[in-house]
Amino acid sequence: MERTGSIMGGRILSAIIPVGLGLIAVILGNFPISFLGGLVPPPLLVLMPIYYWAIVRPDLMSPFWIFVLGVLQDLFSGGPPGVWAASFLVTYSLIDNQRDMLAGLSGVGAIIGFAICALVACGAAYFIVTVYYWHFPPLAPVTAELAMTVFVYVFGVFVLGGIHHRFVGPLRSDF
Amino acid sequence: MANGGWRIARNRGGAQLPLALLLAFAIALILIGKAQSNLFDQARADMTDFASPVLNAMRAPLSGVNQWIGNIGHVFAVYDENIRLREEVARLRQWQNTAIVLDDRVKRYQMLLHAVPDPALSSVMARVIGRSNHPFLQTMVLNAGTDQGVKPGQAVIDARGMIGRIYLAGHQTSWVILLTDLNSRIPVTLEPGNVQVIMAGDNSGAPALDMVSQADRPLRAGMQVVSSGDGGLLPPGLAIGTVVDDNGVFRVALLADSSSSEDVRVVDFGKKAEAPPGLSQTDLPAVAAGLPPAAPPPPMTERAPAPVAIPPGAAPLPPPKVDGKPGTAVPTATAPVIPHNPAQSPTSDDAANAGTNE
Repeated sequence: MERTGSIMGGRILSAIIPVGLGLIAVILGNFPISFLGGLVPPPLLVLMPIYYWAIVRPDLMSPFWIFVLGVLQDLFSGGPPGVWAASFLVTYSLIDNQRDMLAGLSGVGAIIGFAICALVACGAAYFIVTVYYWHFPPLAPVTAELAMTVFVYVFGVFVLGGIHHRFVGPLRSDF
Repeated sequence: MANGGWRIARNRGGAQLPLALLLAFAIALILIGKAQSNLFDQARADMTDFASPVLNAMRAPLSGVNQWIGNIGHVFAVYDENIRLREEVARLRQWQNTAIVLDDRVKRYQMLLHAVPDPALSSVMARVIGRSNHPFLQTMVLNAGTDQGVKPGQAVIDARGMIGRIYLAGHQTSWVILLTDLNSRIPVTLEPGNVQVIMAGDNSGAPALDMVSQADRPLRAGMQVVSSGDGGLLPPGLAIGTVVDDNGVFRVALLADSSSSEDVRVVDFGKKAEAPPGLSQTDLPAVAAGLPPAAPPPPMTERAPAPVAIPPGAAPLPPPKVDGKPGTAVPTATAPVIPHNPAQSPTSDDAANAGTNE
């Protein structure tokens, strides 16, 4: 009985962690403070847990949660509502279709895989904003955000991997 | 690496909403947001109010770090910049002298003409506690909100010029949409020439000039940009920047640097214009020059422009210098200047009479 309760608690915790980390990433990524004097835009932190767990554990990072995280990203970033929600869902559809290929990447290839998905997310957001305002925003800030996101992912993937190994994976031993 | 060496789960969850349906929701959200742009505003304001203690606490150390990082690039150009700044200071001192002379002259003319003064602008001093530099949104967060009288639409300025305007006000915090932001469009006036245009931000460092109403009045680099006050949105005459030619596209080099502003003023333009203050005898040029006050004049229906009395021994005002070139006069509407005559001044000095003619 005690073991059953422990397993149930572990399942809930493992289900919460990816989305919880996504929420933390939304808050950190949109905190209105710049550590680099505003020289570069902040990285798109929330895309990292979305990408990671959409590949590794899609049952824990479902389209519904991606939609929720996208709406929160819109809310916290101050931009038009729905832009990042739609962009993340478009990115998820790519990940969903290419999951086996993306999961098989390693080393630099894994970074390139993430970079392609980040490019799709930023490109989709750029397209939506262009249509929304009927005006081409400058490409430089989006490009800088993309570069920052990929750069931070190089280090962030180790953190995500560590959390997954330590908390998420072992608690869901049925996968 | 991407999967951390972990086994990939195949279970995608049977109860998930279809991706296409969620995508349709997202698109619907975009359309609703387009129709009702303040959809998330209250939530954003509450959120920023909630986070304001943390933002206030982190502001000071991060400000120091940001300044240090921002100054790294300047270290290698200190000598050249020093020379350039010396030259600029010398040139600006000449402009300062010109401005003081002209300001004094304008005040005298306004007094003589009984001009209605510009409305007094009340303002709220606020501190920048956060900056958001997203690709599609450039904002800053201030530590003043509706509790301090800040309202959406008010202009935000610093010591150099206009930065932006309030677009979201919480109780203790407010968000400023910068002039460079994609959503920023304000009516401005270009001087000289009084050319009315729209200044539109496009997330680049220099907003573009749009919708030139007077096509026969060509724009040129160097024109001064101030707020026009059209539509009552912003107070007129707020300094904004200078027109620059960017490969054939006219843009505005802003005077204020929003990335380094720490303390700003939120200008309240909702206040109605004040009635012109009554002049006292000490305000009049004749009395200020040591002459006795004039008797009240008879009622007048129409009068010529008031002459300015020049005290004995005082030379007429020299023509101000423009751009450091002596003898280049600034074209201004001047009243006739007559030499001072002590015998006539008590009765015929219109300047003295002007103050008692209310």
